[in-house]
Amino acid sequence: MERAGAGAGFRKELVSRLLHVHFKDDKTKVSGDALQLMAELLKIFVVEAAVRGVRQAQAEDAILVDVDQLEKVLPQLLLDF
Amino acid sequence: MEEEAEAEEQQRFSYQQRLKAAVHYTVGCLCEEVALDKEMQFSKQTIAAISELTFRQCENFAKDLEMFARHARRTTINTEDVKLLARRSNSLLKYITDKSEEIAQTNLERKARKKKKSENGNHNSRELAEAGVVESEK
Repeated sequence: MERAGAGAGFRKELVSRLLHVHFKDDKTKVSGDALQLMAELLKIFVVEAAVRGVRQAQAEDAILVDVDQLEKVLPQLLLDF
Repeated sequence: MEEEAEAEEQQRFSYQQRLKAAVHYTVGCLCEEVALDKEMQFSKQTIAAISELTFRQCENFAKDLEMFARHARRTTINTEDVKLLARRSNSLLKYITDKSEEIAQTNLERKARKKKKSENGNHNSRELAEAGVVESEK
């Protein structure tokens, strides 16, 4: 079974649980394809946060990505999502 | 009665903690990949912050998805709803749309392969069943 997109990622079951915690209606369900797509979306969210943090750290000549760098990229990140 | 409510609250809290831990693990793995790729380390606090952020973002996503589906008079959230979530950034929308087609394509191929397999299986079991019937009639 080929896996599109190697590396780490969010498992479908975790994504499902994460979403169901916040649903207002008990009857709300999520299709399998939507779960897979949400897993991708969450993966991009994390990777974007990480990569933008790196770019900020590089711009500041910092040796690692600390919360200070993350805070600076947060506003735009949240606007983009 | 109050004890019951308290116990329920405790259960819900520890469930959320377990979910957060699972998110934290995945976030850690993803950040590790980025760190290797970009040759830049992340502090533990940064990973924890991204993890907390992701967990909270899920609440927004979940509520929006539920509302999108309800708006379309559905109880099941589908990929169209997810694409709506990604509308704020053009590049994000494009990426998600492409991914959506990739997923649909992969699942279509998997279903076609499964169907082929089960058709062969049915064919074999039908042959066996016929052979069995002939046997018992004797």
